Amino acid sequence: MSALPRPRRFGAPPPWLLLSLCLLAAARVSLADSNPQDSPSTSLPVREEMMAKYSNLSLESHNISLTEHSSMPVEKNITLEKPSNIELVCQFTKSGDLNSVNVTWRKDDELLENNYLVNATGNILYTQYKFTIIDNKQLGSYSCVFEEGKEQRGTFNFKVPEIHGKSKPLITYVGDSTVLVCKCQDCFPSRWTWYSSNGSVQIPVDAQMNNKYVVNGTYANETRLKITQLSEEDGGSYWCQAVFQLGESEEQIELVVLSYLVPLKPFLAIVAEVVLLVAIILLCEMYTQKKKKHPDHGKEFEQIEHLKSDDSNGIENNAPRHRKNESMGQ
Amino acid sequence: MALRAEPPDGGWGWMVVLAAFFQSALVFGVLRSFGVFFVEFVAVFEEPAARVSWIASIGIAVQQFGSPVGSALSTKFGPRPVVMTGGILAALGMLLASFATSLTQLYLSIGLLSGSGWALTFTPTLACLSRYFSRRRSLATGLALTGVGLSSFAFAPLFQLLLSHYAWRGALLLVSALSLHLVACGALLRPLSLAEDPATGGPRAQVTSLLQHGPFLRYTVALTLINTGYFIPYVHLVAHLQDLSWDPLPAAFLLSVAAMSDLVGRVASGWLGDTIPGPVARLLMLWTTLTGISLALFPVARAPTALVVLAVVYGFTSGALTPVAFSVLPELVGTGRIYCALGLVQMVESIGGLLGAPLSGYLRDVTGNYTASFVVAGAFLLAGSGVLITLPHFFCVSAPTSRPQDLVKEALDTKVPLPLEGLGED
Repeated sequence: MSALPRPRRFGAPPPWLLLSLCLLAAARVSLADSNPQDSPSTSLPVREEMMAKYSNLSLESHNISLTEHSSMPVEKNITLEKPSNIELVCQFTKSGDLNSVNVTWRKDDELLENNYLVNATGNILYTQYKFTIIDNKQLGSYSCVFEEGKEQRGTFNFKVPEIHGKSKPLITYVGDSTVLVCKCQDCFPSRWTWYSSNGSVQIPVDAQMNNKYVVNGTYANETRLKITQLSEEDGGSYWCQAVFQLGESEEQIELVVLSYLVPLKPFLAIVAEVVLLVAIILLCEMYTQKKKKHPDHGKEFEQIEHLKSDDSNGIENNAPRHRKNESMGQ
Repeated sequence: MALRAEPPDGGWGWMVVLAAFFQSALVFGVLRSFGVFFVEFVAVFEEPAARVSWIASIGIAVQQFGSPVGSALSTKFGPRPVVMTGGILAALGMLLASFATSLTQLYLSIGLLSGSGWALTFTPTLACLSRYFSRRRSLATGLALTGVGLSSFAFAPLFQLLLSHYAWRGALLLVSALSLHLVACGALLRPLSLAEDPATGGPRAQVTSLLQHGPFLRYTVALTLINTGYFIPYVHLVAHLQDLSWDPLPAAFLLSVAAMSDLVGRVASGWLGDTIPGPVARLLMLWTTLTGISLALFPVARAPTALVVLAVVYGFTSGALTPVAFSVLPELVGTGRIYCALGLVQMVESIGGLLGAPLSGYLRDVTGNYTASFVVAGAFLLAGSGVLITLPHFFCVSAPTSRPQDLVKEALDTKVPLPLEGLGED
């Protein structure tokens, strides 16, 4: 494909060139808003051949608007599953002279040299880049760069769709069965694959073997891995992978398998605590009831003592002596 | 043990308040926070949310319909053994649920078994509380009922924590251990013999006499009407806010505000109910009317500030009516018959509660927004407060609360046969 060897600058060409370009422009299949001062950037036959080959692919159009005062880099994330024709458009609004603006397209900072148009209307500089994405290598970040002293950049990020699993670990018990689910938003992967990890090595999960693993999904955009009769070795990381024409996407799910003893210990501890509480409460009550009965006896005893001491002093004196005699006698 | 002439109004009564506090927390707090488990059940058993929510509905229905059974048994054997058995049943239900392999097993274990356990605990505890207090009854009931609100705050995050560490089986196991504390609470319910106990007779005699008691029947009707309207906002407030395009976070904040003012309302109303002389039914009517009005105003308020104010008012008034609703009953029927009375009231008013939410949902489906359902809820509350006016001594300036001597006389007048069985305690 022939291409202009250097970045194009918007300027006024001499009249004889204008005439020849007009003739060429009239002869080719025109882009929608081409200006007689534009010239085609590819030779005609190759372009038509390309468009015929990929005419059965869908067309994706995306648009970014920038101004000279945009402080943040402007980005657009695009998910792509299958090969498509792409049309990217950037619009740059600036007051003043548009001639001094240098327009380039880059992929991952590598300069792109073909297939783009530049146009100016009033205050708006308009540039369009058309291409086709067929395989994984062509995914990435495509930027339109407007340079005038400082740089204004708009970036289109092309990626395969992301899949979502569970972000928190899945907790199960020995002997249970569980289902690991992965899904993605609006996607149709050609294939789903599951991997389990054995240390750092990923091993594909064998669904045919002995009914332990069953893979199915009700819709094309989700997959379910059912694992039955869990044991402690089944714990660990699992990966679900969606395979698209343009690449793969993966998500990790963590599975934790606990034995019944794990919650059983706190359970028994709490039950023991409750039994203790009940015992304390009931014993306290029995104790206070006994105290209530004893003070009655105690009061009677004191009353009798008072009566005795009122009657005569001698008895009181005799009592200790009696006891003393007794103890000495023994 | 000697029969007491008057409720002790303090002393061991405060321990009963503590027991009732934890009971309310463990019964209704658990029920309210169970929504956290529902999300898990929907995922694990692959059933729609409507079917999973039947677990709580069955539990509440069994708790309320089983209340008369709990009350009758308490009259016969005293509250302590009944409540302790109930606690064991409730914990057993949760324990069996942790081994469940289908939704039906959850219906039976949590709904039926734990529900019957709760039926044997909640009503007897509150009735026992009413017997321990007379002058400070409303305050004691209000303080005890704050357990419901506070536990909703505490249990929801706790259950989430348990779920994230032990998954739903282990979490249910630990909730079962938590529910076992109901047994400890039951141990605190020391038996109390009051003056009118011998005159009021066994459970069957009490129920018969209650069903012929005019004011009691009118009060039951009033509470049923109130109950129909009471639960509607809990279910539909969030949905109503979503209709008004509120984000989930401010909506949750609004609910928390309402819940907090609910707590304050319970205690404040309890204190107020004791200090203001005269029948407590008047205060109940005041709070019910205010709740009804605030409910009816909900559809009218659109601005966020108005909604927040209404939420605070609704929370306060609806919390305020709960302790008073329990305090009216001993004044009407006396502390001797309180167990059976409370059980019957709970059973009948549950009909209102079960009808209220579906009715509101139906109105919403028919009219397209929640205006009709809020207004109808308010209307039910106002109707209930209207019936309250028909209660005896309502318009007296300072009619004394029923003294035990009067109640003994009244009980004897209704020709209750002297008991051969079940003095209940001692």
